[in-house]
Amino acid sequence: MTFTGAIGATFLFPLRAIIAFCVALRIHPNILTLTGVIISAGAGWALAIGEFRTAGFVMLLANIFDFIDGKVADELKLSSRFGGFWDSVMDRFSDLFLLIGLIYLYASLGRADYVLITSLTLMFSVMTSYSRARAESIIPLCKVGFMERPERIVLFMIGAFTNRMAAVLWVILVLSVVTVLDRIYYTWRELRSDGHGAAA
Amino acid sequence: MSVKQIIALPAVGIWHALFWTFERATWQYDLMVIAILAFVWVTPPEWLGDPMASGPGLVGLIARLIR
Repeated sequence: MTFTGAIGATFLFPLRAIIAFCVALRIHPNILTLTGVIISAGAGWALAIGEFRTAGFVMLLANIFDFIDGKVADELKLSSRFGGFWDSVMDRFSDLFLLIGLIYLYASLGRADYVLITSLTLMFSVMTSYSRARAESIIPLCKVGFMERPERIVLFMIGAFTNRMAAVLWVILVLSVVTVLDRIYYTWRELRSDGHGAAA
Repeated sequence: MSVKQIIALPAVGIWHALFWTFERATWQYDLMVIAILAFVWVTPPEWLGDPMASGPGLVGLIARLIR
């Protein structure tokens, strides 16, 4: 087993109990998704006031809700196309709350350089999701590039808990740019090989 | 493995790292995660002008010890 696989399996154990608890209470998965976003807004606020460790714990809590909503939907047989759409839209709000919190923090510290870096990170985080969603409206699958949402969120938590947010922002920014370029290139290549034409 | 293939190996590695198609929980994914964590934790925060970080980081600590 790989070490990232082992970490995932370790975290899955307590999450199963939480999923079982939510299933027993028959909590609607869309409510869980919304709760996660509201908690993420709290994490954004904690980042904005420079309380990184608190933000880390709040992000951890928010992402429990984010992780379990789909599993609870499956268990309760409440999976729906709207649920998938709702989850994706709420995920974007969660991402934006965190990054806007950081932009506020760096602006209040008078650090225009990190306001710019965080803004670019925000732009490419959104573009990472958008490029895949748009690509998958014209090709079956566009799952290329490293920096997807779970990686972003785990990195944010690492940055918050260990107070290394600047390094984390650089990593997310550079790898998000690469991921967007990957997706553009992959979609172009797929369309060209399909004979659908890749000209604009 | 031919000399040509050995010479091309770093380029192939960089290409696969940039044009990422590997799944999670593979050894390639582990390697990428280790590289990222090394950058985050080892790089001295002052090199990046981190407005919030405290402490010199691993490389900064070693550099101080050498000095």
